[in-house]
Amino acid sequence: MTGPLSVLFGWAFLVPLAPTLAFVVIGLFGRRMQRLEWGGWVAVGGALFAMVLGVLIAVGEMLTPGSYTDRSFQWFTLAGSGTGAFPNGFSLVMGTLVDPLSAVMLIVVTVVGFLVMLFSIDYMHRDSGLPRYYAELSLFLASMLGLVLADNLLQFFLFWELVGVCSYFLIGFYYQRPAAASAAKEAFLVTRIGDVLFLLGIFIYFQQFATAGPALGWAAAGFPFVYHSAPFLAGIPISNPTLFTIAGLLILGGAAGKSAQFPLDVWLPDAMEGPTTVSALIHAATMVAAGVYLLAITSVFIGFSATDQLAIVAIGGFTTFWAATMALVNRDIKRVIAYSTVSQLGYMVLAVGAGFTMVGLYHLFTHAFFKALLFLAAGAVIHAIETQDLFKMGGLRKTMRVTSIGFLIGGLSLAGIPPLAGFFSKDDVLGGVYLAAQSHPLYWPFFALAFLTVFMTAYYIFRAWFLAFSGDQPRDSTLPQAHEPPWTMRLPILVLSALAVVAGLLAFVPQFGGLFAAGARFPPTPGVPPSYSATDLLLSGVSVGLGAGGILTAYTLWGNGRVFTLDARSAAQPIRRLLLERYYVKAGVDWFGLHAVYGLARLADFFDQYVIDGTVHGFERLFAEFSLRLRRIQSGVVLDYAAYVVAGLAVFLLFFFVIVPAIPALGGG
Amino acid sequence: MTDLPLAGFVAVSAVLLGIGLFGILTRRNFILLLIAIEVAMNSAILNFVVFGSYWNSISASSVEGQSVAVVLIGLAATEVAVGLAIVLALNRSRGSINVAEATTLRL
Repeated sequence: MTGPLSVLFGWAFLVPLAPTLAFVVIGLFGRRMQRLEWGGWVAVGGALFAMVLGVLIAVGEMLTPGSYTDRSFQWFTLAGSGTGAFPNGFSLVMGTLVDPLSAVMLIVVTVVGFLVMLFSIDYMHRDSGLPRYYAELSLFLASMLGLVLADNLLQFFLFWELVGVCSYFLIGFYYQRPAAASAAKEAFLVTRIGDVLFLLGIFIYFQQFATAGPALGWAAAGFPFVYHSAPFLAGIPISNPTLFTIAGLLILGGAAGKSAQFPLDVWLPDAMEGPTTVSALIHAATMVAAGVYLLAITSVFIGFSATDQLAIVAIGGFTTFWAATMALVNRDIKRVIAYSTVSQLGYMVLAVGAGFTMVGLYHLFTHAFFKALLFLAAGAVIHAIETQDLFKMGGLRKTMRVTSIGFLIGGLSLAGIPPLAGFFSKDDVLGGVYLAAQSHPLYWPFFALAFLTVFMTAYYIFRAWFLAFSGDQPRDSTLPQAHEPPWTMRLPILVLSALAVVAGLLAFVPQFGGLFAAGARFPPTPGVPPSYSATDLLLSGVSVGLGAGGILTAYTLWGNGRVFTLDARSAAQPIRRLLLERYYVKAGVDWFGLHAVYGLARLADFFDQYVIDGTVHGFERLFAEFSLRLRRIQSGVVLDYAAYVVAGLAVFLLFFFVIVPAIPALGGG
Repeated sequence: MTDLPLAGFVAVSAVLLGIGLFGILTRRNFILLLIAIEVAMNSAILNFVVFGSYWNSISASSVEGQSVAVVLIGLAATEVAVGLAIVLALNRSRGSINVAEATTLRL
């Protein structure tokens, strides 16, 4: 099937190539590009090219529903010998795959990427080290696009690691600040746990595909995500279902690390130490969504077993609730949004686990826009008044009109108020899980948690909005005078606001909605566009009611400049402290690290210092002592040397004329 | 050669070597040291001559032992020349020919 834009599918590799070139150019010449904002405009140019081509490819995919265009080359091939672990041999390929899934992601990554790049120009203007910033951000964008277009799990993993390392670089952009350096390390190490699990999962899949794949009609060439009418696990006899279940759990581990799902969620709130633009692009819209994308492609191309699905539902559903509770009390505007991101990612994971892969991806799509909007609006606030503390803000809607409206739209969308984007996708997630729970009773508790979270979501985001924007003036009068940001910052906020309004409605455009329908090629069919059964409408009504209730509660407690203070003797105080301390998870990890790991390290250090080094240094000292004594015979006096010669002669004579004749074994006796 | 016993010559040679070694180990004056070395060396030369003569008396006529002795006398003269040159250099640089004081070879 070809459409008017299908010719572009083969050129998809140009999409990641443009930011890669920007990375190289800025990396080499960025320091001489003062007039181009130290490479900023080069990065914007690369992102613009990627966006235009990426969106055109996505539109081409919409016009040819369900087409799969795989362009790849053999990286290397190993011929099969008929025995061993790979009797059919295997080959590894690299290439681009344009399909409904990658089309959706292309739109998200390129559009948000371009807008964030543009926003950076003025937001980052006052910072130093800008060539580094733009080079790393371009490299991130390139890697993310390479990940999105990957046509096999190995290539996916390579780019997955690349985005991880870019995330590390950018979180630690202000590396002079200890908190930022430590947050970068934390993010890198925690996601690394997931990455190791992911890699183990890939090994299992790879081995299974390379052996069983060809016999089942899959391409002999290793394990590309080739077009096939069913996922690998569906409808085929599997020799070792336990192995596949384990592989699925390992993949879930990788996704949980990247998407900050419980229990690997600690790093994302701390990642807010990076610039806000980085939070918007990497830690809200794109990289953290890669985990969900991984689960989506795994469920579309490979499939999960029932046990895996339950595990995914459990982790997603629990994380939704877990993260949202911590957002309720936080004072930092960015951290509130970060917890919200973790929570919303939980919704996506939940949907994928319940079998509604494309619904999860749909929520990813809408969430990317309204969450990037929230971050950029928060960034504009931070840029203007140079604080992240919500309790110092206030009354900003008067001075920052566009920003306050942008944040409001993002908040309403997040709270799930119709007809904004978040309403449709969240409603579909809840509807889908409700449907799946009919046949899987174990899903009910997680459905309940996710449903409750709707109320909390609306509450915490409007608490933030009221604290920052309502009231008369900032609570801290020493803050700089707030001002509306320049056009490079206003434009992304306006565009994202528009997208946060229409992204949900887009699903009703048949061509666009078709992406989500065509991508899910196995039952149960996704509910996009939403179905309108009585239960479904009731569910939507209740969830909108919960959202509105959350907003009203926030207004009652925080509206019009009010500050709600919990009574010091209130029974809720311990809960508040528990939430502020992040359930003591971080303290627990620190304790474990400081006592258990550090203790072990000290033991190893002791062993190294005193046993290994002790042995080495002992020999060293022994020889040094011996040499010191021996060197005394080197007196320099000729007479002494003559005496040694005579003594040597005496020993020689003694040996040959007295000892040798006395010993039969030496020929004497 | 007369019929003096071979052992007598060897004994003289051994005595000479003993005197020479004693001189080498005890003298500190470089010139006396050189003389002691000469004495020890002459014991070796005497051995060559004695055994050369002995060999000559029991079998073929040959002068190998005596020839080597002549070469060795030349060698001893060369050695003394080098030794005396060192004595002069030592005396010039340190003002003394006491070998126990010349310790710059020490590590």
